[in-house]
Amino acid sequence: MNGPLATTSGAPGVSTSGPAASTDAFAAILSNAEKVYRTDRIETVALSGVNLEIRRGEFVSVMGPSGSGKSTLLNILGLLDTPTSGRLVLAGHEIADLGDRELSRLRNEIVGFIFQTFHLIADLNVIDNVELPLLYRGTGGSERRRLAGEALEKVGLSARMHHFPHQLSGGQRQRVAIARAIVGRPPILLADEPTGNLDSQMGTEVMEILEHLNTEEGTTIVMVTHDPALGERTARTIRIFDGRQVH
Amino acid sequence: MFANYLKVALKVLARRRFFTFISLFGISFTLVVLMVLTAIVDHVLAPKPPQVNIDRTLRISYMLESGENVEWNGEPGFGLLDRYCRDLPGVEMMSIVGGTSSVVGYPEGRRTDLKLRHTDGVYWDAYDFRFLEGAPYTREDDRVGRPVAVITEAASREYFGESPAVGQSIALSGRTYEVLGVVANVSPVYDLAYSDVWVPIGTIPDPSFREALMGSFEGVLVAESRDAFPAIRDDFAARLERVTFPPEDEFSKLEGFPMTPIETVAVKFFSDRPSRNALRKFTGMVAALVLAFMLLPAINLVNVNLSRIYERTSEIGVRKAFGASSRHLIHQFVLENVVLCLVGGVIGLVLSAAVLAAVNASGLVPYAHFTVSLRVFVVGIALATFFGILSGLFPAWRMSRVHPVAALKGETG
Repeated sequence: MNGPLATTSGAPGVSTSGPAASTDAFAAILSNAEKVYRTDRIETVALSGVNLEIRRGEFVSVMGPSGSGKSTLLNILGLLDTPTSGRLVLAGHEIADLGDRELSRLRNEIVGFIFQTFHLIADLNVIDNVELPLLYRGTGGSERRRLAGEALEKVGLSARMHHFPHQLSGGQRQRVAIARAIVGRPPILLADEPTGNLDSQMGTEVMEILEHLNTEEGTTIVMVTHDPALGERTARTIRIFDGRQVH
Repeated sequence: MFANYLKVALKVLARRRFFTFISLFGISFTLVVLMVLTAIVDHVLAPKPPQVNIDRTLRISYMLESGENVEWNGEPGFGLLDRYCRDLPGVEMMSIVGGTSSVVGYPEGRRTDLKLRHTDGVYWDAYDFRFLEGAPYTREDDRVGRPVAVITEAASREYFGESPAVGQSIALSGRTYEVLGVVANVSPVYDLAYSDVWVPIGTIPDPSFREALMGSFEGVLVAESRDAFPAIRDDFAARLERVTFPPEDEFSKLEGFPMTPIETVAVKFFSDRPSRNALRKFTGMVAALVLAFMLLPAINLVNVNLSRIYERTSEIGVRKAFGASSRHLIHQFVLENVVLCLVGGVIGLVLSAAVLAAVNASGLVPYAHFTVSLRVFVVGIALATFFGILSGLFPAWRMSRVHPVAALKGETG
């Protein structure tokens, strides 16, 4: 599951960024990444020869048809999955041969996820959901409450702290999910179709929050979307087709 | 973190009520059986009247006598205890106690079956009986063979109704004794402290028992403290080496050692050579039985837990995405299961108290008063926790291994 990331060089691939710079300037560097799913009989190539460099503070959208490998790419960038081969540097950390504990720690500190279906824990109220990343960071109870309160303030939901997810609208749930993603101040936000389950007005609100986080707080955002209008609002769009980058 | 886990655990229990009911039923039923057994064992082995000294008592109750082609095991005789067991180092007092025998009396023409036990005078110091009337017989009464008796309240009522018993005579199986004292009724679970009538050993008419190495007596050694046990055993072993056998005797060797009450149970259970391994074997067997008894409901609970956790794969994915390691998830799910089992444990304790009250009221075990003591409570909680870990670890481990991407999709593969 967490297999090693082989360091490869000289393989074909297209860089989507400018000339090489120090890895410190990049939130993520993915070199010649390949992801192959194997069963006994079938081998499915989900990603092939993907090279990308995402600068710190960049707002990047990832577009492509369903099944093209967008979510696989996002999962790899978010350390939820490992490429079959290739190299990944995330926020200056070379991701190779890491065990479960180390990957968990990096996910906790570097990455914040926003999912299309929100993925809030139904048994926890809003503030407990938002605190979740801090829980695994070992942050004390009162500090967790304070930071979670601040995060909810940023998304305009501080009045709903003690509500449960089923008591909120879709837009409110996604704002809670954003608060959870940013509460630990991760340098990178990964959003998988964050407006996909929302009506246009709620979608616009969520997009505005993401733009604010990017411009005002310098958070790097990688957003998978099907919506070209949303893609146009980002600084750069990475297009994936059949597991390959296209231009 | 603990508070967060606890919050989720309680929510999950409240939400999946059918699963919770099935789980709690299995857990509490298992624990009721184990706690009732624990309460009975605790009642028998706890240091309380009349067995106030039980925790510092050793018993010489099982010996193996062997010769060239012959072996004989059983209780020691009066001769062995009297000649070889007195004044052992670290022993505060030693009492020689006979087994109970059935005797028949005819108070006012009605046939009454009673248990009679022969003891020495020290017996009344080794045990702490509650005297309702009179006093026990003395060492001197035993030495001279005075026909006196101590009887229980029930025997007193049988013979004398509401009238005082002390000073009256009681005829049993053709012998008559003067009643010196009346004690509160004693439950049969108290083993050497149990009887209906106690009389001095000196009243046994045939004196041949006084020389016998094997017989139907037991030695009760009340040590100054448990620390003295090893020295007592060593000295006893050395004394057994010096035992002389009558020239015509086919036996030439005696084995045995002063045992704690639980060791006595173990050795008698296996009816084996009086070996120190008997307790280890016995406790191993009891532990294995308890484990086997817990294993079946535990396996059932494992399945229920897996179903319960399968419903939460998406939550597992979310927790992993935000930094939960496999270890965090194992802790969480085991804790949830321990909470469930502790709730089951509390229900089990309440039900156990009810079962024990019913047993007490039924008279199934005469004069016994089984209760959920603090010790039983602690054992119950420990069993519930152990049960929680036993049945929670595998599902927790299994679910912690689910790939985060699959988990987020609600898949377990």
